[in-house]
Parts: sequence; structure tokens; C-alpha cells
Amino acid sequence: MIQYTIKRLLLTIPTFFAISLIIFLVLNVAPGKPGAQSSGQGESTTGQEQKESYRIFKEQFNLDRPILLNTRFNLDTAEVREMLAISSNLSGEEGARERIEASDDLDDYGNYLVQHLLVLLDDADPEIRRLAANQLTAASQSRFVNDRRGDAEAAREQNREIGKANDLVKTWGYTADAPDADKLAIHKQWKDWYSKNEETYVYSAGEKLSIFFTDTRFFKYWDNLLHLDFGVSTVDRKPVLDTVLSKLKYSLSLTTTAVILAYIIAVPTGIFSAVKQGKPIDSVITVLLFVMYSLPTFFTGTVLLKLLSEGDPVAWFPTGNFQSMDVGAMTTWQSTKDIVWHLILPIATYTSTALAALSRYARTGVIDVIRADYIRTARAKGLSEPVVILKHAVRNGMIPVLTLLGGLLPTLVAGSVVIEVIFNIPGMGQFLFSSINLRDYNAVMAVLLASSSLALMGILLSDLSYALVDPRISFD
Amino acid sequence: MTNPQEEAVEHAEDPTYGEIVWGQFRKRKIGMTSLYALLALIALAVFVPILASNKPFIWIVAGETSSPWLASLFDRNFYENAVDIFFNVLMVTSPIVVPGIIWRFKSTAGLPGDEKKSKRLIGIFLALGLILSLFGGVMAFPSQSEKTVYPRMEQKLLDQGEAVTAVYPLLPYSFRDTNVRESRLGSSFAHPLGTDSAGRDVMTRLVFGTRISLTIGVFAVAIYITIGIVVGAVAGFYGGRVDSAIQRVIEVVICIPSLFLILTMAAFIEDRSIFHIMFIIAIVRWTGPARLVRAEFLRLRRLDFVAAAEAAGYGTRHIIFREILPNAIGPVLVSATFGVASAILVESTMSFLGLGDITVPSWGQILNSGRTTGVWTLILAPGFAIFLTVSLLNLVGEGVRDALDPKLRK
Repeated sequence: MIQYTIKRLLLTIPTFFAISLIIFLVLNVAPGKPGAQSSGQGESTTGQEQKESYRIFKEQFNLDRPILLNTRFNLDTAEVREMLAISSNLSGEEGARERIEASDDLDDYGNYLVQHLLVLLDDADPEIRRLAANQLTAASQSRFVNDRRGDAEAAREQNREIGKANDLVKTWGYTADAPDADKLAIHKQWKDWYSKNEETYVYSAGEKLSIFFTDTRFFKYWDNLLHLDFGVSTVDRKPVLDTVLSKLKYSLSLTTTAVILAYIIAVPTGIFSAVKQGKPIDSVITVLLFVMYSLPTFFTGTVLLKLLSEGDPVAWFPTGNFQSMDVGAMTTWQSTKDIVWHLILPIATYTSTALAALSRYARTGVIDVIRADYIRTARAKGLSEPVVILKHAVRNGMIPVLTLLGGLLPTLVAGSVVIEVIFNIPGMGQFLFSSINLRDYNAVMAVLLASSSLALMGILLSDLSYALVDPRISFD
Repeated sequence: MTNPQEEAVEHAEDPTYGEIVWGQFRKRKIGMTSLYALLALIALAVFVPILASNKPFIWIVAGETSSPWLASLFDRNFYENAVDIFFNVLMVTSPIVVPGIIWRFKSTAGLPGDEKKSKRLIGIFLALGLILSLFGGVMAFPSQSEKTVYPRMEQKLLDQGEAVTAVYPLLPYSFRDTNVRESRLGSSFAHPLGTDSAGRDVMTRLVFGTRISLTIGVFAVAIYITIGIVVGAVAGFYGGRVDSAIQRVIEVVICIPSLFLILTMAAFIEDRSIFHIMFIIAIVRWTGPARLVRAEFLRLRRLDFVAAAEAAGYGTRHIIFREILPNAIGPVLVSATFGVASAILVESTMSFLGLGDITVPSWGQILNSGRTTGVWTLILAPGFAIFLTVSLLNLVGEGVRDALDPKLRK
């Protein structure tokens, strides 16, 4: 048993890695530009400034890096030349989509372009020479140190240096109608600069290998994850882990109450129904539970909300939220009452869904056991009916129902997106819902990872509890 | 030695496994009633253009008779969605296909097992071939659309004093065309369930929604059952390392809360169509049937008939799909029926949250518009439609489950 437990615990590590990989791929392969809306700085800024701020934004969230593996050190000069030509539509036939893609790619490739652009400064085509020089102003920008773990003061000092160097090269571009002498001077400037910094932009075999695996979005994400850093939200720039943890209490207080309530109601109902099997009361309960089981959560929620809070016909309950706005002025007792008052409808909705499934399980569990020989033996021994049912039948019939709890844990943590959205409860579900609509990658990753890892633990616990509850199962 | 003829006759009297299950299912009143109701619902989905369309069946102006309704059935600019075209093909071919299939089943009843099976299969493949080739033909050729809005045209012609004869379906509305002048009407004789905020008739949208829900439910389940069967069969048949590798993958997938993953994937796809939604549901749900099939395979793999088939020299593929799978399919069938119900629930949840296909009339989306506008009919009507469909499927599923259970034989 101990050996099994240790084995299972160790297995959770690769499992967690695989989960994060899957979620990461799902999020990153999907189309749609993350944060494009939050980096737009309004109409006052020029196109160039906006582009620059978007570049820094992407850099900050590692969005300019390739997703899993990095092969950018393998670019060749002809390829870069082609992309420059496409992005500026030199042939005059490129579609808008291709042009935007090429120019986005060029911006993302950043430092990897420098050595190729330097070669292109001597290109036969003057347009390409100009484009190469202008692209160099962006490609030569060094990354800011974006480390929230280390010494903040040192990082700031370092960033100031980097910023100074970046600002210097930023101006080394020119327009098409500039005098030839200026163009040549700028080319000269670039070549001098490159000869000083060459070792940064030419990669040895070892460096290439390390770039291949480590200069990627996934590696950077995992690197941060190992330090429990889930990144910051692209929306409010706060660490997402803090937000997720603060949301957890809303979801958990809703779902744990609902699930406990569901168990308290469902198990006796199921047992009662099983004992009265075939009698009219059993049919009534079965039909009722069946109706509850088939009603969609969002329908029950919407109807309850409209019937009992929106004044159609009555307004006994608040129309949403976790608690009232003026919670600060309340005593503890008052605020508890306030929360309960707010949560009655969502809990009722959640309970009705969970209840139906649970009591059906409880009923089948007990019915399966009631036919067993040892129940007949217990009756034959002359035990009273309550003892037979409660001590012999229920104990064994409840095993599947108890182990269901482990499987329920993921849903418990995840809360119910639908209920939280309908009743406007600021829990994990609603947070996920708003984050996916805002394309807030870090937030979505954090919610999915947090809920998956709790589910992982839940499944582990449920597997172990099988062995504890049912001595017939052994893992050795 | 008996002669082959007698053997064949003996064979014919032996009911196949499918016949036993069907016989058991027929004895269950609730299951059978639900099955009939479900068939009626499917018929509604197939024949819904007869009930609701803004193209008149017959249109006579100045002595010229035409049928815009018939022309619109295969008009891809009118029925934009491939699903609608598919159902329209089903509707048009059903007078031939349905009696054909019934006749095939009746006429083969006395034949010995194998012959019966192959004749029935030929019949079903012919029907499928007819439907698919017609569907492919319609989709391959571009259609010329006419943009006439007939009710408006009729009014105009009548105002000009011309004689117009037009026969419309019961609900002369389109599920898509908006009409701001008639937005948010209450229930009336013309609009039994009123109109939504864009002026579309809710009843029309509701009946067309049947097509969407059933299609997504059935196809999503078909996709993930196929994935599940293949993966589960491979894991259970080969066992050992293959099995434990597949088990690890399944563990990873079930750890991610499914609704979260479904909503995330849906949100990150631009221009979602109902096909995306089917695939998203399938990607998340295949683990269920895979585990069922794996467990069945692990159990059946050790039985004598597999060893016999191996000794007889059959290939692995034959043993997996022809020998073991037919014996393992029972639990999968049950989970498929419940799966369709739950896929319909997932789809309506997605469209309720605005993460479904916004171009099709989906029940969840109607319910959401009811929630935001606070109109009771917009909440109750789609809610009841979902409830009815899901209940019927669950009841049929329970019937199948009981019919498969040898302990509960009647």
C-alpha cells in the first residue's frame, strides 16, 4: 500500500508536466492575438510608437518566442530578404494578410535577424538595403531583464543600461529620400556596432542547442512555474496566482456547501427509495430525481433567479453577487447572514444538479447489495430491518457513492462556470470565463493548471480511498 | 451428419445477440415510448421546412406558377449551413429510403444469420450512398440564390392590385432573417412564442434548433466513440507497455476539468462553426468509451474464443474488430446514448455562454437571450425543448442498459 502510494505520488509529476504541456499547446496554437487590445494606447500615439509598445508587450509575456522548439538560429539570409520584400510589398502583388504575417514574423525574430540584416546592408537592391537598416533598429533591441524573483534594484539598474543602448540604435534608420551620404554613414555605423557586438549575434553549436530548447515560450513558462510564478495578467498586470487564490474561496464556499447538502439529502433519499423499491413512493422519487437530472443547470438557475429575485413574481433574494456592497459596515454575524442570503439560490441550483446524480447512485448501490446473500442471512438471523439496512446494506452500498467524491473534486474546485456567470459570483469559473474572452493567457493557464492539479490530487485520493474503504481491493 | 440445409434452418431460429437485446428492449414500455417520441423528434428535425419557411409552397402571379419553397431547399445561400442542406436531402429522399429500409428488414426476417446481416447491410449502404451522393452533389454545385422576401413581395403586389395566390407553411418565417419592426412581440396567433429582440420568430428558431442539437449530439458522440473504441481496443488487446502508455494519456486528459477545457478551446477559435463544437466535445470526451472498451477487452482477451480465433490463423485486425469488439460493444452503446444527451447539454451550455456557433439557431442561445431580456417564453420554451430531448435520450439509454443486463431479463 505504501509502495503504491509512493509510486502514485511520483507519477503525478510527469502527469502534471503533460497536463501543462497540453493546456499550453491548446492555448498557444489557437489563433487570435493575445493582449492586442490592451496594448493599443489610444489614438494619440503614432503607428510607430504603438508598434514599439506592442513589441515590448510581446517581449514581456514571451509572446515573441516560438512555442515549443526554437529553430530561429537556422534562418538564412535569402529567407530574411524574401520576408523583407514581402512585408514592404516590393513586388506590388502581396496580399494584406501575407504582408502583416511577414512583418509580424520579422518583429518576432528579433535578435536572430541581426547577422542576416548586416549582410543585406550590402544588397544590390537599394530598397532592401534601406529595409534592412530600418529593421535593424528593431532587431538590435536587447531584451529587458524581466525577473520578478531576483534583486529588484539591480534589475532596474541593468534595465536602465539596456534601455540606454537600445535608445542609441533605435534612431539609426533612414527614409528612402535621404541623401546617399547619410545612408552610407548609417551603414558604416551599423557595421562598426556589429563588429563590437558580434559575439552576441553569432551562435556556437552549444548555444544553438540551448536556444533550441530553452529560448521558447514553454520553457520560460515552466522555468517561472518552478518558482511558483504563474506570470502576471495581461489585463491588470497583477500576479495571476494571487487572483486565482482569492477567487478560490468564493467557488469553494459555494460548491462545498452545495455538495455537502447534496450528500445529506441524496444518500437518505436513495436508501429510502431503494428500500421501498417498486412501491408508488419509489416511482414518485425516481421520476422527480429524473426530472432534476435532465434539467440543464443554466435553465434551473435562470428560472430561479427570475422567479425569486427579479420580482417576477417575488424578489426575496438578491439578483447576484457574493455579498452586499456595504459589507464593511457589518458585524461578522450580519455579513455571514448576508453571504448566506446571497448564496441560497446558487447553492439550490448546484445542489439540485448534484443531488439527482448522487441519489441515483445511492439507490442503485443499495439495490445491488440488498439482493446479496449476506443480507438474506442477516434477515434469517432475526436482525431487525433497520439494522439489516443501515448496518449491512448501506455500508457496502455506499462504497461507490463515497468514491464518487474524489471524482467530484475537480468540479468542486472548478465551481460551476454557468452558475457563477448567472448569479454573478466572482469565483474561478467566472474569472476563467472573463479571462478567455479577454485572451488573458497567463490567467487562463493558471486557472486550468490550478484546477487540474487539484483534480489530480482528487483522483489520487479517490483511488487510495477505494483501498481503505473496501478491504477486498489490494494494490500490492 | 445433418445436411447443410437443415443446419441453416436451425441457425435461422437462433436469435442473434442484437435480436435478443431488441426483444428485451421492446418489452420495456417506458423505453419504447421514449424511442417513439425520439423518432418523432428526429422526424420533426427532418421535416421542419414543411412547418416553417418564409418561401411559399405555391406562388401564382399573373398565371405563372412556381414553388419557391422547393427551389429553396437546396439553395446554399438560403440554408447557409451544411447541416440544414443535409437534413433537407434526408427529407426529400425519405419517401424512398425509409420504406426501402423497412422492406429490407421485413423481407430478410426468415433468412439465416449471415445472409440476413449482409442483405440488410447492402440495403443500408445503398440508402446512405443515395443520401451522401445527393448531398455531395448539392454542396459541389454553386446555387443561384434569389433574394425575394415573399411575404413583403405579396403585400406589394396586392397593393398594386395584382392577383396573387401564395400558400405558405404554418410558420411563414425564416429562422435567420431579422425584422426590427416586429422585435420583442409577445405570444400571438401569428407568433405562438413571440419574437426575439431581432424580430425573429421564436417558434421557428426553436424547431430549427432541433436540427442543430441532434446533429451536434449524434456526431460528437460518433467521433469520440470511434476514437475511444480504437484507443481502448489497442490498449486492452496489447496490454503491457502500450496499455500503460495509453492509460497515462487518459489520466492526463481526465484531470483537466472538461467544461473549462471545452470553453477555453471554443473561445480561442475564431468563427466557430458547429463542426468545431463537435470536435471540441469529442476531443475532451473520448476517454470515457476508451476506458470502457479497454476494460472489456482486458476481460475478453483471455477467453477461449479469442484463443480459438488465433489458433485458426485470423489476423490481429480480424480478431480485434470481428471477434472481440462485437462482444464488447454493449456498454459502449449505453454510454453512447447517455453521451448524446450530455453532448446536447454541453452544446447548449456553450451557446448559453455565447461560446457556440452564433450563426445557427441554438436552444442555449435562445435561452440566453431570454435571460438578458427577461422574457418568460424565451426562457421556458428552449428550456423545455432541451429538457424533453435530454430526458428522452436518457430514458432510451436506461432502456438499452436494462435490456443488455442479463440479470434483468424479462
